[in-house]
Amino acid sequence: MRMRRPSICSLLLAFLSALSAAAGSQAQSIHLPPHEKVVFKNGLTVLLLEKRGVPIVNFVALVKTGAAADPVGEEGLASVTAELLRKGTKERSAQQFAADLDFTGGSFDADAAADYSSISGEFLNKDLSKGLELYSDALLHPVFPQAEVDKLLAQSLDAVRAAKDDARSVLASYFNGYLFNGVGYGRTADGDEVSLKRIRRDAIMTFYQTNYAPGNTILAVAGDFQSAEMKKKLEDIFGSWPSKPVTATKIPAVPPVKGKRLLLVDKPDATQTYFAIGNVGTAVGDPDRVAIRLVNTVLGGRFTSLLNEALRVESGLSYGAASNFDSHKMAGPFGIYSFTKNESTAQAIDVALQVLQKLHKQGITTEELASAKSYVKGQFPPSLETSKQLAELIAVHEFFGLDDREVNELEARIDAVTPAVAQQAIQKHFPSENLVFMLIGKASEIAPTVKKYSEKQDTRAISAPGFWPAPAEK
Amino acid sequence: MKSAWLRIALSAVVCAAAMGGAARQASGQEFPVALRTLKNGMKVLVQSDHNIPNVALYIFYRVGSRNERPGTTGLSHFFEHMMFNGAKKYGPGELDKAMEANGGANNAYTSQNVTVYQEWFPHSALPLIFDIEADRMQNLNFDPQKIESERQVVASERRLSVDNDNGGLLDEQLWATAFIAHTYQWPVIGWMSDIQHWTIDDLKHHFEMGYSPSNATMVVVGDVTPEEVFQLCEKTIEPIPAHAPPPPVTTVEPPQQGERRLIVHKEAELPLLMIGYHVPQTNHADFYATNVLRTILFQGESSRMYQRLVDKDQIALDVSSAVQPAFDPTLAIIVAQPKQGADPKKCEKDIYEELERAKTTPITDQELEKAKNIRLMEFYHQMRTINGRANTIGTYEVFAGGYEKLFDAAKSYAAVTKEDVQRVAKAYFGVNNRTVATLIPENPDQAKQ
Repeated sequence: MRMRRPSICSLLLAFLSALSAAAGSQAQSIHLPPHEKVVFKNGLTVLLLEKRGVPIVNFVALVKTGAAADPVGEEGLASVTAELLRKGTKERSAQQFAADLDFTGGSFDADAAADYSSISGEFLNKDLSKGLELYSDALLHPVFPQAEVDKLLAQSLDAVRAAKDDARSVLASYFNGYLFNGVGYGRTADGDEVSLKRIRRDAIMTFYQTNYAPGNTILAVAGDFQSAEMKKKLEDIFGSWPSKPVTATKIPAVPPVKGKRLLLVDKPDATQTYFAIGNVGTAVGDPDRVAIRLVNTVLGGRFTSLLNEALRVESGLSYGAASNFDSHKMAGPFGIYSFTKNESTAQAIDVALQVLQKLHKQGITTEELASAKSYVKGQFPPSLETSKQLAELIAVHEFFGLDDREVNELEARIDAVTPAVAQQAIQKHFPSENLVFMLIGKASEIAPTVKKYSEKQDTRAISAPGFWPAPAEK
Repeated sequence: MKSAWLRIALSAVVCAAAMGGAARQASGQEFPVALRTLKNGMKVLVQSDHNIPNVALYIFYRVGSRNERPGTTGLSHFFEHMMFNGAKKYGPGELDKAMEANGGANNAYTSQNVTVYQEWFPHSALPLIFDIEADRMQNLNFDPQKIESERQVVASERRLSVDNDNGGLLDEQLWATAFIAHTYQWPVIGWMSDIQHWTIDDLKHHFEMGYSPSNATMVVVGDVTPEEVFQLCEKTIEPIPAHAPPPPVTTVEPPQQGERRLIVHKEAELPLLMIGYHVPQTNHADFYATNVLRTILFQGESSRMYQRLVDKDQIALDVSSAVQPAFDPTLAIIVAQPKQGADPKKCEKDIYEELERAKTTPITDQELEKAKNIRLMEFYHQMRTINGRANTIGTYEVFAGGYEKLFDAAKSYAAVTKEDVQRVAKAYFGVNNRTVATLIPENPDQAKQ
């Protein structure tokens, strides 16, 4: 099966939160279904949203500590901790957990992003009691058996190696690492070939015991259930989760990079160069976020975007081009992403830079702004269609300190973005002269042609362990 | 994130697994499907759902790479791209611009069997969408300059998804080896030399062959009424004349009479293993039993293969299987990602032993029940969005012999017995029926450690 166009995830496998997937509203005005917030005595924040349709219930827990809290040199710790929750509990071995879970047809997933760890479960409502029992067993009673720790670490290590066989899947790891120079959002949440070898069971236990606490957790439930009944069930199960203080992770605010720098990651078998160009972007709660989203829609957020028009539609240089602001609590990366055959590497980068310069010099037209507004409004409702999407959205809102107005007032906020407001957003938030370049490709063919982009140039072999900078000695 | 990537990387095939839900009769009654066949032969299926103010519209054309010939492989997929590059009313680039300015988005996919156009839009854009579809269905314009530029886009797509993607590369070699006669042997995206050489006349011929309304099925799901859709169809689509559908694909793949093996040497961090078994087409009676078998063997961390290769023997990172919806006998493909240092042959041995066990000993009642629960959940996953429903209704209509089969799937799965599962394991998963493809890293890397 061949798609006409790549999804954003095939261009960039960065973490995209429910927020970055959507923004906008529709002519008849979209509203979040009513939902309820309860804070248990032990500090657990519970969000309940009833939604009928298919007989499914979704759980999403956000533990407000993520990969940013990994000790230096032990990157991957938060992710590994989350992934191990189901691999052995007080009640069940990993194998028994898998057997019980699969028998219900349900699912359980856990992972860590920089800002938080997320643990989600999905069950048919006919199996709700069993599902809740499994979900809470993993979240509250993991025992981290040594054998399972060893297995998972070995698998994670190989997953990093497998990812390096596909440039797309490591593009963000190198770009973010180089952009933030290994600090904050520049650290890999999944770990690397060196850091994963350093992680010990003790550290995992400590990470869990320190950070998995009710006062540090948001639990969102959405789907086909009765709130009063659900609240009682949750109180019975999670009400006795002992509270303890958790220190919030400090993520350093990183200012945008001044000047230019370029990292070339050598992948000797590549016939196509994969590149990212950008700088430090904005935080998810930035007051200009709606204007930024509209401008980014015009620049690189849809098929007829300026970047895709220039790199694909008009020139045939690439199968696709996009731009994106990652959604993080603090300012995360902004990047332009595309790829092209080795011979046209410089040509494609030139075109991308021309588009960016044109955005700064000429701004966007009234017509482009109007089109972006319709597009964002029109594509918004399907992002609120399922109970899974809604559970994630209300949990993430709660975490970021946002509220229902993100949805309910979005249409008005979009309408309020005038050409002048859009112009200000361009000047303030989209980089122009200060740029960080990251390329994965065949260095022997492309290195000479990309010298012109920056006086400061770094190189690294893709087979060398880690991303950027080289893993710290410890 | 890691495993999600692995699944994407390993298989363009997996995305096509739209089939295989277990349905409750009630679900069908909640959202009845209205059907009309237009005078030109196009079938239109409509399902109203006002949960969100949006619409998903799919058009399935029964033409894909199986209708191609050597020298012009990949033409169906290329043509899919050209359907966005200008017709009479909407010139090059104007279709996408008009759609997005009205809040709509689109995509399309091509498989060996079908070419499918997808549109997602607010209700207000409904008339525009029909205007666009009618325009390109009858008045496609072949601009030589656009052809050249789009040729390079597809070449880039091929580099992305095949040449620089170990899973894509090995998958292509596997089909080319498992099929020696039938047209499933070449890649949907086409060989690179064919991409560079097809002509404007090839494109015109393809349009004539595949794009008759009588060769298409439209599915509309969401914030619409059947009446308004049928009215728009009468006005815009029905006047487009039908012509002869594609000639039938008559070549039948002869039975494979012995194992075939192939190796790809390539710079890589990890090896990769794919095993293909010939299995019947989608509308065959064994479809459901084969799905139950694959669920028990491959789905979830409690599955037999995961337990054996990933958990117990710890020689693989991941093991999965996929079957695409198909008009003709096709392949069930097993993909295993060996761990670094693990011998792919050891993965093979484990897989064959587990297949043998499924042939010699019946599965348990518990496993049968589990498989049915997993299929039920999958069905609800497909049914919970207007997009999922449009794709699933269309896929059943086109491949399974009627959309209403979707609502019989629960019964069909309930009817599968342990003996059926054992029988299909024996019938299709034998040594003589398999093709084994292995990617071997060329440079065991010294930078390691």
